[in-house]
Amino acid sequence: MILLQSPSRFLLQILQDRVLSGEKGMDIDCHTVEFDDVRYHIQFSMRNPKVMVLSVALPLPPPEAILYDGLPLGAIEAIKAAYGPVVQILDPPKDGFDLTMKINLTKLPPDEEQRNAILTQIASVREVVLGAPLKVLLKHLASKTVAPNVDKLVALVHRPNESFFLAPQADKVTIVYPMRFQDSIDIVLATSFLQEFVEARRTAALNNVPSCMWSPAPPLELKGVPADALNANAGFVTFVVYPRHVEGKKLDRTVWNLLTFHAYVSYHVKCSEGFMHTRMRRRVESLIQALDRAKSDAEKLKKLVHGASFNRLSLKNEGN
Amino acid sequence: MANTLRLYLTCIRNTLEAAMCLQNFPCQEVERHNKPEVELKTSPELLLNPVLICRNEAEKCLIETSINSIRISMKVKQADELENILAKKFLRFLSMRAEAFQVLRRKPVQGYDISFLITNYHCEDMHKHKLIDFIVQFMEDIDKEISELKLSVNTRGRLVATEFLKQFI
Repeated sequence: MILLQSPSRFLLQILQDRVLSGEKGMDIDCHTVEFDDVRYHIQFSMRNPKVMVLSVALPLPPPEAILYDGLPLGAIEAIKAAYGPVVQILDPPKDGFDLTMKINLTKLPPDEEQRNAILTQIASVREVVLGAPLKVLLKHLASKTVAPNVDKLVALVHRPNESFFLAPQADKVTIVYPMRFQDSIDIVLATSFLQEFVEARRTAALNNVPSCMWSPAPPLELKGVPADALNANAGFVTFVVYPRHVEGKKLDRTVWNLLTFHAYVSYHVKCSEGFMHTRMRRRVESLIQALDRAKSDAEKLKKLVHGASFNRLSLKNEGN
Repeated sequence: MANTLRLYLTCIRNTLEAAMCLQNFPCQEVERHNKPEVELKTSPELLLNPVLICRNEAEKCLIETSINSIRISMKVKQADELENILAKKFLRFLSMRAEAFQVLRRKPVQGYDISFLITNYHCEDMHKHKLIDFIVQFMEDIDKEISELKLSVNTRGRLVATEFLKQFI
């Protein structure tokens, strides 16, 4: 799996099992975390086996990102538009969560294909809620206008206490990610990965994709942003998205990709580290073998003799 | 490039062959103790002159000899930050498994990346020329492994980036 999928596999599995299980059902009460930032709490009660209560906790927003009632701009409308009558938003949300939804599985359409489409949509709740403001801005880009009452620079939360920045214009949107990683090895690997993004963009096959830049210092677009938001240890990545990248069906995919850019890079950095460990382990084995070859035959002989004497002893014991 | 590496390794091999003539030698200060003199450095008459072999500033190998033990320390080339981190990671990985290697020192000598300590007991257990083979192969392998790791990180990065950008077509 190279690309990250937008529906959460865990949520989708639970929903599908529940839909197929018929009338009987048991209590489910579980928590799960996605990409180390969004928390889900899933509840099914015995009395109402077809009603799922799903609570979502979004990453803690940094001061520069603006939220409305704890949710990103346009999230409520996006939920209503995406799910229709199946989902009911509970207000206020549960303690410690930003959004609580009641999902009534009896209201799903009977047709299997439609039903699966809705279930997949519910499992992609991350994209719907966190991606809502991004979607609004990119929709305006597709129609080559600037959304009204939007600042020149918009900060959107994508990880706990971290945000990325959008500079919307009529003909293009510039998106800047300050990249932060905790581990010193992660930083180095991620930096080299990000430089590969710039290199890959230069190849002829990818001529039409958004242009991509990487720089260790904050780019000009971020002028006026508080210094706290600019202490990125793996540099800054800038994408410039044009209307042709967001037209028609491409919009959803672009929103998801831009929303999970950090998760995508960090996921591959971790994979790369895992791969390195497997390799190193193999290398250690081959080196130990080389050392074993150096051991003289005398020592091997000693071992054999030792084994024989042990056998003899046991024979004697049997005789007794 | 490969040629200079060959010369460097041959030089190390010849030096090791000459330097590795170890004999059992009990400690002079404490009765019934037998310690590697190259580590203790208590009596100067038991130490030989250390030999430093350099390929360039970044890559060098220090061979310290004494009557009953020899210490080989080396510095691995680290051209950029990525190589530096890969080398550090790999060598730490090896040092943590020092027990399995017997002749590997748990901590490198200061200023070097990895060290070996060979005593007369190791020489009795193993063939001397094969032990030297091992040390030389080890040096060769570390260089190879680090450059392969670097290559694999870069290839992976390119693939990851291409797949991501392809989404926008």
